[in-house]
Amino acid sequence: MADLIGGIPLFVLEFGDELVYFTPYTITLFLLALTFTLLVLISRPERQIDIAFGGDAYRAKEITVAEMRFRRFMAIACGLATMGAMVTGDIFNFTLFTAMVGITNVGIVAAVKSRHVQDAAYQYGLVALAATVPLFAGAAVYAAVTGSLSMIELMKGTVPAVPLIAKGMLVLGVIGEGMAPFYAAKAEMFRAPGAPYVIMCSLSSLLIFLRVVEIVMLG
Amino acid sequence: MWGAYSYGIGAVMVAAVIAFFALSRERDDLQKLLLLDLVEMVGLGVIALLGTDLAEALILPGLTVGIAELLALSQIYCTKEGILDRPVTGLNIEVIALADAPLILSLFLVVYGLILSGFTGGAVAGLGLVFLFLSRTFREDLNLLEMASGISWALWIFAFFVFMFLPQYWFVALMGAAVGILLKVTVKMSLVGTMWGEQHG
Repeated sequence: MADLIGGIPLFVLEFGDELVYFTPYTITLFLLALTFTLLVLISRPERQIDIAFGGDAYRAKEITVAEMRFRRFMAIACGLATMGAMVTGDIFNFTLFTAMVGITNVGIVAAVKSRHVQDAAYQYGLVALAATVPLFAGAAVYAAVTGSLSMIELMKGTVPAVPLIAKGMLVLGVIGEGMAPFYAAKAEMFRAPGAPYVIMCSLSSLLIFLRVVEIVMLG
Repeated sequence: MWGAYSYGIGAVMVAAVIAFFALSRERDDLQKLLLLDLVEMVGLGVIALLGTDLAEALILPGLTVGIAELLALSQIYCTKEGILDRPVTGLNIEVIALADAPLILSLFLVVYGLILSGFTGGAVAGLGLVFLFLSRTFREDLNLLEMASGISWALWIFAFFVFMFLPQYWFVALMGAAVGILLKVTVKMSLVGTMWGEQHG
């Protein structure tokens, strides 16, 4: 247990199937997610300003309250799912939280009533849906090889080594759900107005990616 | 056992490659969504290959997540294509709406669901009721159904407390939980059916 990337678990809670633990690494990620969720909860959304090129004219985009309310709800749900993914000690629970992060990420942007944004959100949604295949398959191979989904068991080093392909599938799934590399190529989604909510997408995908790094280093 | 698992996972991988190949060639957005639903089944196949109780417990949340994403994406598709205002009139097929066939099929599904019991039984029985409500234009008293759902949920929770605090009565708790979840899922699914009929009928 000496060479764990996240450090020795400070606190382990085992409640039936549910397993939660905190290491210095995951507690940092958890607090980051918690802080940002609270910020989303209390902050007021920004208005996006369009400036006409070559002149002094500008106009603020009109945003309805209902749309903003839905996006805030989705951002908070995304924050909660991210927090769950940070603290869970069960591989399958992690994949479920990750899939939920994917759904809420698409939900945050899909509420915007703009054809371009919705097109982009739809394509991201297709990627997220396809990514559930390697995600769940990776977790299933973990269970098939080690006979357990508990990360604490993986840490002990008593179970058989996890094959590289299972780890690869898990990481591939997280990449697809978090959409981390894709929004660099297709940034249309981020032209959606409403500052704190859109940032939740990138923060949550960053956090689940940091967590999956810890997980694949375990077994 | 390991040999059978390897063959199974090989077959599933071939299926996945075929599905993703089809996906890469497809250009239509709606067809892509349908193909992805097929691909999703491949993922569930990998979990099912475990062949244990654990696999069954993992498939249900996996399926739920898949359905949730599918619903969300179809909603986005409808919004982005601007086809939200087109009314959907249930299963508007003359034969189904008038004949006795839906009633018989639903009855069969409900009875089979009762025999299966538990979550799976609830889903099967609920599917029967959804089918019936979709094919007929019923106006049900939703409050009564919701009350039944609430009571069966309470029964389910109560059974869990028996498991935790009075483990010697596990058989009673098992039966209570099985009946509770059966009723709960059945009622919830039939509620979906009636609400669908009300919205679009």
